[in-house]
Amino acid sequence: MKLDVNALGTFYRMAREGAGLAAGRLTHMTDAETRVGVTKLNFMRGQEIRRDFDDSVEKVGVRVKLTGAIEGYSIIVFEREGALRIVETLLDEAGDEFDEMTRSAATEVGHIMNSGFIDGWADVLEAVIDVSTPEFVEGQSAEPFFGDIDEAPDDDDLALLFQSQIETVGTEVGFSHYLFPKRESMSRLLEQLRSSDGIDYDKLDGFDRMAERGAEEVAKTATTLTGIDTSVEIRRLNFVSLEAIPEQVADETLVGVAFEFDGMPSGYLLFLFDEESAHEIVDAMVPMEVDEDGFGEMGTSAIKELGNIMASGFLDGWANVLDTTIDHSTPEFIHDIGAAAVDPVIIQLGESQDFAFVFDTVVVADGREFNCDVYAIPDEDDLERALNDLDVDRIEEAPTTAEFQELDNA
Amino acid sequence: MKTYGTEPGAPTPVQVGISELEVSEGDDTLKSYGLGSCLAIALYDPDTEIGGLAHAMLPDGDEAENSDVKPGKYADTAIRALLRRMVERGASYTTVEAKIAGGSDMFEFESFGEGVGQRNITAAREELEKLGVPLVGEDIGGEHGRTVEFTPGTGVLVVKTATDNARGVTEL
Repeated sequence: MKLDVNALGTFYRMAREGAGLAAGRLTHMTDAETRVGVTKLNFMRGQEIRRDFDDSVEKVGVRVKLTGAIEGYSIIVFEREGALRIVETLLDEAGDEFDEMTRSAATEVGHIMNSGFIDGWADVLEAVIDVSTPEFVEGQSAEPFFGDIDEAPDDDDLALLFQSQIETVGTEVGFSHYLFPKRESMSRLLEQLRSSDGIDYDKLDGFDRMAERGAEEVAKTATTLTGIDTSVEIRRLNFVSLEAIPEQVADETLVGVAFEFDGMPSGYLLFLFDEESAHEIVDAMVPMEVDEDGFGEMGTSAIKELGNIMASGFLDGWANVLDTTIDHSTPEFIHDIGAAAVDPVIIQLGESQDFAFVFDTVVVADGREFNCDVYAIPDEDDLERALNDLDVDRIEEAPTTAEFQELDNA
Repeated sequence: MKTYGTEPGAPTPVQVGISELEVSEGDDTLKSYGLGSCLAIALYDPDTEIGGLAHAMLPDGDEAENSDVKPGKYADTAIRALLRRMVERGASYTTVEAKIAGGSDMFEFESFGEGVGQRNITAAREELEKLGVPLVGEDIGGEHGRTVEFTPGTGVLVVKTATDNARGVTEL
C-alpha cells in the first residue's frame, strides 16, 4: 500500500466536504447556527487514539458500518452533556439521563450527521457508500466506542484518522468525527487516487518515529535548561491544508521562537508559549530579578537560547531517524498574535504546495506553567524524498545522540 | 479553532479566514485575525455602503492553477473577485475605494528572499492601480502582526496590534 500527497489531498477534501454537509444538516434539524472547525487527517497509533478517549469525560457516540467505496466505521462522538442539550432543542424536554426517547433522538441526530459526512465523501469520490443502521454507544473510555471493531488499529498500528470538529455557535456544543477505514479498502482507494510513485505506507512508521524522537528531545532539553520537569503530552502527525495551520493557533498574544531548517528535509520549526509560560521560563533561566517591561533583552535572549537548544535537539532527533544532517538558522524571537507568527511560513510554502504535514507536539510541566506548542512543517517534496530513502529496518536501532553544543548565536 | 462572541444582541463579526473573501453591507462587520505577512484588502462603495474584505496569502493568482477556485488566496484575483461580487450586489464600480493592512515581514529567513509580506503589498497596489480603484488608507509592513475589523457602512478599517513596540489600535 502506497500513498501520495494527491491521494491525501482528496481525503482531506472528503473530510472538509463531509463536515460541511453534516454541519448543514445539524442546523436544518435544530435551527442552531453551526460551524465547521479544524479538519485534519491524523496519523495516530491505536494507543494514542485510546488515550485521547480516556479523559474521564462522559461521551456518547453514534456509529455506523460502511460498505461500498469505503469500508469501515464512521463514528460521531459528543460529550454527553452536549448531546443532552441538543436533544433538548428537539424534544423540549430532557433530563440528565438518557431514556428511550432521548436516546433515540440522539441516535437520530448522530445518524443524520454521519450521513452528511458519508454523502460528502461519496460526492468527492463519485461512488456509492452504503450505511448500516446506527448504533448508540456511551462511556468514558475507548472500549465501548471501538473496542469491538476489527478495523480499529491495534496499539502499535498506525492508522489514518479523519477528524473534524463541528460546533454550534453560541451554545458551544462540539462534535468530533472519526472514520476508521478497513485497511484493504483504504489501500484500494489510495491506489485509485495516487498520481505519483508516492510513499510506502510502512515508511510512515518513520514519520511517527521522527515525531517521537523530536518530541522527546524537546522535553528533555527544556527540563535540563529550566529545571522544570516537563513531558510530552501530545505528539501527532497531521495532514492539513496550509490555511488550516494558523487557525489552530490560539487567538492570543504568544511568545515564540522560529527557525528555518535546511537539509533533507528542509522547512520551518516554531516553538510557541503562552505569556505566563514564557515568564516562568525567564524566571527559571535568569537568576536575578529583572526589572523590565515585557520580556526585555534578558528575557528575550533566555527564550531564544532555550528555543535554539530545543531546535537542535528536535532536529537531531529527526536526523538520527533519517540518517542525515539537518542545519537550522539562528532563532527569531516573536511576541505577537500567535497566528501572525505562522502565516509567513505557510505563505512561503504556499508558493509550491497546498497541503502540509505538520508535526504537532505539546510539551507540558506538572504543577508549573510550561506549555509549549511545537510546529514543525517540512517542505513536502523533501519529506517525501527523505522518507523514501529511509531504511525501515534501521528505524528501531537508531540511537538518540543529540548533544548540547556550544552556542555561537544565542 | 475559530471562536465566536456569545453576548446576546451583539452582532457577531463574520470571520474571513486565510484565502477567503466576504462581501457584506452596512453594519455587518468583517474580521480577520492574526495577519502576519498576509494582506487584508478592504473595498467599499461609500454610496451604497456595500463592501468586502479579503485575507490574501500570496501575490499572484494569474500564475496559479487554482485561482479560479480560490480567488481569495491571491491579492490580484481577490481584488477582482471582491469588486465583481460587490457590483453584483449593487455597488457602483466607479466610486469604490480601497484600504489595505498587513504584509509584515516577521522573520529574516534566507528562504524568504525579498520578503513575503512586501510581495503581497506590491501585488495589491499594482492590481488596484490597474483597475483604477483609489487606495485611500494603509497600515502595512513592519515586523508585527495585525487583527483587522472592517465595517462597509462607514468604510472604517480598525487595525489592532499586540507587540511591545507597536501595541495599539489604528483606524483607517
